[in-house]
Amino acid sequence: MIYLQGIKKSFRNQEVLKGINLTIEKGKVVTILGPSGSGKSTLLRCINFLEKPDEGVVQIGDVRVVAEKANKKDIMALRKQSAMVFQHYNLFAHKTVLENVMEGLIVAKKMKKAEARQRSEQVLERVGLSDKLNYFPSQLSGGQQQRVGIARALALNPEVILFDEPTSALDPELVGEVLAVIKDIAKEGITMLIVTHEMQFAREVSDQVLFMDGGVIVEKGSPMEIFTNPREERTRKFLKRISGGLPVHWIQKTAY
Amino acid sequence: MGKAFDITLVGEFLPQLVQYLGVTLQILAVSTVFGIVIGIAAAIPRLFRIPILSQLVVVYVSFIRGTPILIQLFLIFYGVPALFLLFDIDLTRMDPLYFVMITYSLSNGAVFSEIFRGAIQAIDYGQTEAAYSVGMSDSQTFFRIIIPQAIGIAFPNMANCIISSLKDTSLAFTIGVMDMVGRGETLIASTAHALEVYISLSIIYYIVVLVLEKLFRLFEKRVNRYKPDVVSSA
Amino acid sequence: MTIDIPFMWTAFKEIIKALPVTMMLTLIPLFVGFFIGIVVALIRVYKVKGLLAIANGYVSFLRGTPIIMHVMLIYFGFPLLIDAVAAKLGISVQTQLIPISTFVLTALSLSAGAYLSEVIRSGILSIPKGQVEAAYSVGMNTFQTMVRIILPQALAQSIPNFTNIFVGFLHTSSIAFLVSQKELTGAANIVASTNLKFLEAYIAAGIIYWLVTILVEGLSSLVEKRATSYMRGGVR
Ligand SMILES: Nc1ncnc2c1ncn2[C@@H]1O[C@H](COP(=O)(O)OP(=O)(O)OP(=O)(O)O)[C@@H](O)[C@H]1O
Ligand SMILES: [Mg+2]
Repeated sequence: MIYLQGIKKSFRNQEVLKGINLTIEKGKVVTILGPSGSGKSTLLRCINFLEKPDEGVVQIGDVRVVAEKANKKDIMALRKQSAMVFQHYNLFAHKTVLENVMEGLIVAKKMKKAEARQRSEQVLERVGLSDKLNYFPSQLSGGQQQRVGIARALALNPEVILFDEPTSALDPELVGEVLAVIKDIAKEGITMLIVTHEMQFAREVSDQVLFMDGGVIVEKGSPMEIFTNPREERTRKFLKRISGGLPVHWIQKTAY
Repeated sequence: MGKAFDITLVGEFLPQLVQYLGVTLQILAVSTVFGIVIGIAAAIPRLFRIPILSQLVVVYVSFIRGTPILIQLFLIFYGVPALFLLFDIDLTRMDPLYFVMITYSLSNGAVFSEIFRGAIQAIDYGQTEAAYSVGMSDSQTFFRIIIPQAIGIAFPNMANCIISSLKDTSLAFTIGVMDMVGRGETLIASTAHALEVYISLSIIYYIVVLVLEKLFRLFEKRVNRYKPDVVSSA
Repeated sequence: MTIDIPFMWTAFKEIIKALPVTMMLTLIPLFVGFFIGIVVALIRVYKVKGLLAIANGYVSFLRGTPIIMHVMLIYFGFPLLIDAVAAKLGISVQTQLIPISTFVLTALSLSAGAYLSEVIRSGILSIPKGQVEAAYSVGMNTFQTMVRIILPQALAQSIPNFTNIFVGFLHTSSIAFLVSQKELTGAANIVASTNLKFLEAYIAAGIIYWLVTILVEGLSSLVEKRATSYMRGGVR
């Protein structure tokens, strides 16, 4: 379970998050949509304190951190509840595929090396990379790198995996393989929070869709509600723009 | 100026001079090791923005990079004994070798500290974020993720610095150190065949530099084996 | 022993008179070396047959040996060479009348050529292939492409490296005192030994080098900003 209350964040004088409240039940897949600069990444990064919120409460599982009082120990504990998949993969450049996945298990989870290796191999098989265990990230395609990124997160078996535009740095023909992997693990019952611009994917994978704009959650609902019958004008405009100017009934037709 | 040029003397001088290569390499080894220690110590205040200390480091680095090694050598040679004399310790009879080692350690330390700092800052911040995201602490991130990659970046520059400091050791004779060049000076004094001595010395330096370059390149390939191409531009 | 601060000031004023000699021993070799460097770099980039091995050997040997060796080899070797050639031709040259600074300048120019050629070569190699292709596509020949497109970018990008070399040779010129040139270090040595105040004299000399270095680095960063303004996006 994720629980956010009153999350605020400013950079210099610009308020990027204006008090976000959100509860996500265990096992749910939630996607966040919204225009560029609306604060999606910042929200995700506040959840694992890569950005420290100015105000608010973040709770993941049974670790609860109040931003104003957060100390190093709290932050570490919170980070161990989550994992993140980055837009630019951020694989550890000096470590092989297998080592990338093992690293968190050994260091943060204090797992025995043999056990970590076994678990990592399992997860890498899951994302279809069993044949690349001893490659370095620089020797992989973008899609393969991102699948390693997903494996690295998945291996930790966290309460929640945070995805920040996992496919937007990829060549179009590589997007599919990564989305397929995410869909596959979504079935498993891991809580996931995904920022994406892939509408089709969002519709298929989500239990809930959030629409953010200007630092607030403008609207949330099931994919059906958001894509076919958005209540807010801003949501409607955004969807219209992102669907390439196609009329909304096109989206309705392709919805379930 | 000397006697008639005699190339066969080079063959005669080479073995005599090589015996003193050990002294040169000793200066190099000591000043590299202490240079690394000083370099790490000097990089820390700047990386962590420790006030006062970091300004001191800036001045130290700027001074070393702003003055010729020859001047640094003289400053240490005359300055350190003067400093100790204030505490009634007489260093005037100390082997000049130690002053050379101090000078080159300080000199390398300044250069290394800049190399280390640059290397650490060159690592993409995404690496740190990824480490945090899998639950690593600050120190785990620093030692397991940042440092190993920074070493890869720093190494070629360190190698260049070590090689140029090997060449710089050729000035140690100016304060009376008996290294290869010092021995060469005595040979010149006794034989008056300066050109042959300098040819021999050049040959030795050249071979040592080539060997060091080869070794460093092999080592660099190991350190940076995760990079797409390991050809250094140097 | 204490430091005689007032004497340091005296020494400073005396030593700084030698700054022009130091600048001459720095600038002339860099100027000559720059042309050597361009020629050698082009030979190596275009892999000119016959000359490539010589160029490679020249750069490798000069960068692989201490510069003081170059000075000494030229200082002791050149007169012998000139004498030998003169004897062959049956003319008499009084090599002892050639000023020592000529040998020092020759040696430093050759060294500078080797170091600068490396800088220029890596500058050229850092220019993306697309630039060459674009130049060819508008009808330039190889020479025009090099002179109009590649070299200007390569040299502008290499300014930080040129600065390092400049400062390096400013400092290297101090070894000229070992063959009795009266540049900064030589002057400091004279002031030091005539007054038996070594530390003060070398501190003063150190400060002069330091100031000049800071000045050179400051100027260079200004020049660099102008020269590489084409690389910054947006409004100038
Ligand atoms: N570290 C930072 N320093 C200053 N401003 C920042 C920083 N990070 C984000 N911002 C600003 O906060 C706002 C929200 O940024 P954020 O990255 O959260 O947007 P986003 O919704 O993820 O956009 P996109 O879809 O382009 O990724 C932007 O205006 C951005 O410029
Ligand atoms: Mg974003």
